[in-house]
Amino acid sequence: MKWPDSIHIRHIALAFITGLMVLVSLIGGFAAYQTRAVTQNLELQNQNAARSELTAAVQRLLSQTEEQAVDLANWDETRQQLVLPEYYPYWRNQRIYESGMLPSRFVRAALYTQAGTPLEPDPGNKPMPASLPAGISPHQPFSWLSSETGTIALYHSFPVYSDEQRQILLGLGLIRLDFMHALLRQQTLHFIDVSSVSLELKPGEQLLASELFSRLSYRARPDPDQLRFQSILSRTLLALFVLLAAASLLGFVVYNRLLVRPLGRLSQDIDDMQHGHFTPKPARSHPMRISELENIRRSLYEYQLQLRVLHGSLENQNREFHSQARQDALTGCHNRRAYEEDWQRFREDVKTVPQGVAFLLFDCDRFKAINDTYGHAKGDRVLTIISDALVMALRANDRLYRLGGDEFATFLSRTTPAQAKQIAQRCQSLLDAANFNDLGISEPVGISIGIAFCAPEELEHIDELPKQADIAMYTAKQPGRNRVALYGDDTERASQTLVASRETSALFQALSTPGMIELHYQPIFSLPEYTVGYYEVLARIRYHGDLIMPDAFLPVIGSRRLETQFDLAVLRQVDADLSSGQLPAGCGISINLSAQSLSSPEIASLLLELSRHNANHPLMLEITETSLITQINEVNTYLELLRTVNYRIAMDDFGTGYSPLRYLVDLPVDVVKFDISLVNKLVEDNRAGRVVADFARLMTDVGYSLVAEGVETETALRKIESLGFAHVQGYLLGRPVPLAQLAAPGTAAASAMPDANDSVLA
Amino acid sequence: MRPGIPASAEYRVGDRSKPAVLMLHGFLQTREFSTVATLARGLHDAGYTVLSPTLSLNIPGRMQSLACEAVHKHSLNDDVAEIGRWIHWLKSHGHPAIVLVGHSFGSLELLAYLSEKPDAAVKGYIGASLIEVQIGPVDRVTLIAQLENRVRNKQRALVNQTLSFCTKYPSTPEGLLSYVRWDQARVLASLKQSPVSVRLIMGDADTRLGGGWIKALQHVKTPMTVVKGANHFMDGTHEFDLLEHTLNYLKTIQQGPSR
Repeated sequence: MKWPDSIHIRHIALAFITGLMVLVSLIGGFAAYQTRAVTQNLELQNQNAARSELTAAVQRLLSQTEEQAVDLANWDETRQQLVLPEYYPYWRNQRIYESGMLPSRFVRAALYTQAGTPLEPDPGNKPMPASLPAGISPHQPFSWLSSETGTIALYHSFPVYSDEQRQILLGLGLIRLDFMHALLRQQTLHFIDVSSVSLELKPGEQLLASELFSRLSYRARPDPDQLRFQSILSRTLLALFVLLAAASLLGFVVYNRLLVRPLGRLSQDIDDMQHGHFTPKPARSHPMRISELENIRRSLYEYQLQLRVLHGSLENQNREFHSQARQDALTGCHNRRAYEEDWQRFREDVKTVPQGVAFLLFDCDRFKAINDTYGHAKGDRVLTIISDALVMALRANDRLYRLGGDEFATFLSRTTPAQAKQIAQRCQSLLDAANFNDLGISEPVGISIGIAFCAPEELEHIDELPKQADIAMYTAKQPGRNRVALYGDDTERASQTLVASRETSALFQALSTPGMIELHYQPIFSLPEYTVGYYEVLARIRYHGDLIMPDAFLPVIGSRRLETQFDLAVLRQVDADLSSGQLPAGCGISINLSAQSLSSPEIASLLLELSRHNANHPLMLEITETSLITQINEVNTYLELLRTVNYRIAMDDFGTGYSPLRYLVDLPVDVVKFDISLVNKLVEDNRAGRVVADFARLMTDVGYSLVAEGVETETALRKIESLGFAHVQGYLLGRPVPLAQLAAPGTAAASAMPDANDSVLA
Repeated sequence: MRPGIPASAEYRVGDRSKPAVLMLHGFLQTREFSTVATLARGLHDAGYTVLSPTLSLNIPGRMQSLACEAVHKHSLNDDVAEIGRWIHWLKSHGHPAIVLVGHSFGSLELLAYLSEKPDAAVKGYIGASLIEVQIGPVDRVTLIAQLENRVRNKQRALVNQTLSFCTKYPSTPEGLLSYVRWDQARVLASLKQSPVSVRLIMGDADTRLGGGWIKALQHVKTPMTVVKGANHFMDGTHEFDLLEHTLNYLKTIQQGPSR
């Protein structure tokens, strides 16, 4: 049995009262039991007394009758009647009563001869027997009872002698009396219920007096003292119960008023305090009559006052902390935590009140470069100015959130795509008007804005707005694009201008279907031997038998931000190709990775797994679009990790806007691939050509291994060879071929076995 | 003493040279009555043989005083006959001289015996507190006539009549008639005609006696001793007077008849 953790005080009182009632009931029951025992004892004594009394009464009656018989037998006039019975009726009917020999006329007497015949027949209505019972001895007194009409008669016969010596028998006397009447008229019956005494005797039956008791039935008279005792005890017990019940009720009421209610109020006040509900006048209106409780109430009141002050102070602090926790410390706008809470609430709210919703994502263009160029302090000021401009441009109730770095967001309620675009344009305008010259930044600072809109009837897709806005923002960031892009209109238009919907389908199917991505290998030749140093892996998509080239699906990848997924698919296919054993032994490969993928743990994990092939096939990673690298420290760490498992790192497309010099300095790069635009500059005999050539020589001198891309002319090849480039790549020397073709004998690539000693992958 | 009706007497044997005394109790009494019992003891103590019978009054073995209200089936004749039987009994027991001593009504019954043909052994008579048969305020002649009429007509119904000290005395007509006849005159005549010497011992304070009774006795010169202050029962110190006077008389009586 499990006891409750706590018991209500009212239950304690009820339990106490119940226990008291049970105790009194037990005592009452015990008293009743004892009383019953005493009563039974008294009843038994009463029964015994009744039996003794009845026995004594019967004996007394018999004795009286015998005495009367003796008196009659010794009475001279009795003897006189037996010898001279002339006036016997007078004697029997009158004289015997007048003389006092018989007490009343209920007792009758008659005389019989020695032969048992009456001296004279009795004409009365209750005649004496015409003869004495046969067999009785005339010399012995004899008693018997006889049931006669409605009466039980007691007869007593006795001998009458003429002399004192009892020698001469004159005759017999007979006394008759109404037994029940004579028995019950005795004044000494106190314990017998007179009405209950009866004698079972059949009509005409005769019974010896000695057998009388076996037929006598009776009932003891209830003892009035006993009844009075029981009545008094019952009344006393009842009064005790009533008194106790009333006292318990009164006690419960008093207990309730003095203890339970005050304690309940105190408990309620404490509960209110616990839940932060402070009554205006806590526990003041009801002073308590129990001094200890009153002390508690006063203490609680004072404590509550102090607590209220403390609570108010805490509330202010909480509000401040809450506000600070949701505010971006740098810009003063709301932070990412506030964004997440508000966005969650906003999504729920708009579902109940359908309306047009727009999600705007802001991103500072080239902020990393600004930050790196002008320092973090300036970068922070730029973010503050941007934030202020955006807040100013937004509507009064719109909130600006800084999601991280240079990325801001807001969501607009009750709006249309046009209004959202209008607000975005206002943001652009205000920011364009901002003066950054005070910061020493002369170049223009701009932002790209991605807008996603959700119509009232499409609110079930509201969760996709951030992603759509991100895509739109990416679209807006693309060179040559308007810096404001609306998801749907602008992004679809951009995608459709670049790729057909067929290619889009092929891309998504390839991402989810292993084997659809087909890798082609373009040889990279070592100089000056012109042998294949290694192969650059180039991805194609095989779709319904056709080969889709990267220029068809890369825009889709960019517009959908699918770089990481695509790189993962390529790496899995690389793993499959390397595991197939079709690649010439010792042949290294170079794999392209987008900058975004570098931060992906999945990519890093898969690259570590691929590193097992390094023993047979040295691996190189080509990093592209480095301008999008935002977490340079993390990327640096990943690249160092990969180098420890013998990956070589190449910076791709060097010389374009995507691969600034800064990254070359900061990142652990082993190989620098000169973009085709720089290679083309080399062949020009002008200042640009000389700068590039000198730069190439400089990099070679400091240890970078250079690769020239897109070499398509002999002139360019010779120039590159002269400048000390380690490797060259281009259609002039070799085009990308499928793996199967690469493995087939007689191909140019296959015949030109790589020179491991001179490989950039070594 | 009569067939079927036994009677009893106390018999104290004394000096056989002295006359035996037949002591008879009063009306409806027994020999246990104080006056006669005391006197009997005194006489016996004085050396006299005393026979104290209890008249049966026709009751077998009567031992108790008979109530006035009892059925009285006895008559004076029955009493006289029973006295005669006791005298005969005394004689049969060797007492040739007998003195009759009675008290009250017993004196009357002994006198009635003497008026009949008394036995020769009877030598004297002492009547203490002799009384006539009193019948209350009833004309005796009329009563006697009525009773005689009843007897003659054989009317057996009990007659309730005042008799002696009994105000209610149910009796047979002939029984009552036998007593009623003994009025003062008959008593006086019987005294005068007594065949034996007579001595009366009377108390002058006897209120039971009729008015002028003692004077009447004195008038006819009846030998009589009047005890001063004695009542009818001669109790108290008068018991000794009675004994003394009785003894004095007995001393005058010789064994032999002196008629």
